[in-house]
Amino acid sequence: MIDILSYGLIVVGIIFWFWGTFPLVGNRSVLFKLHSLSVADTLGSMTIVIGLLLKIPNEWPLLLLAIITLAIWNTVLGYVLAYCSSSGKNIRSSHSTDEVGWVEE
Amino acid sequence: MDSILIAMILALLIPIYEAWQDNDIWQKVLAFASIATKTSIMMLVISVLRDDWSIGVVAVIILSVGEAGLMLLAHLIKGLNEI
Repeated sequence: MIDILSYGLIVVGIIFWFWGTFPLVGNRSVLFKLHSLSVADTLGSMTIVIGLLLKIPNEWPLLLLAIITLAIWNTVLGYVLAYCSSSGKNIRSSHSTDEVGWVEE
Repeated sequence: MDSILIAMILALLIPIYEAWQDNDIWQKVLAFASIATKTSIMMLVISVLRDDWSIGVVAVIILSVGEAGLMLLAHLIKGLNEI
């Protein structure tokens, strides 16, 4: 019973991975990709680790540490990447519009 | 259990392809962050499968320190773009 549950959780996690990683290939903006990727990586990986935890409970300190690390670092990394990429984009796009305006004048 | 690992490797190929074909630096960083997370989760799966504690420790270290390094890298790239 627990075996079925753990395999089910791992399979659900892998489905999450695929579902969030496929938008990465398209031509959308960085923020759209970042959103889908952070949801997929955090939720999918946590589901997989919980499935592993059910399967072999005697390594629980390590797996619990992995879950906590995922929850904290993935969200912080998503925030930092969004902040850095969007402000970098704005600076570059304002530069380019300035240049275009200057050329047109 | 082998099929689970094969599915994980297939999922890992998508960000690798993205990092290879996209020239925008932020998309590359995003793809590399995804590769780091996926690889360390795969290492955790393998360590639980083999009942090997030490591989799992390395995976958790990569999860925490690797992502902190990616954040530092993002700040560095942002600083370079502003110059």
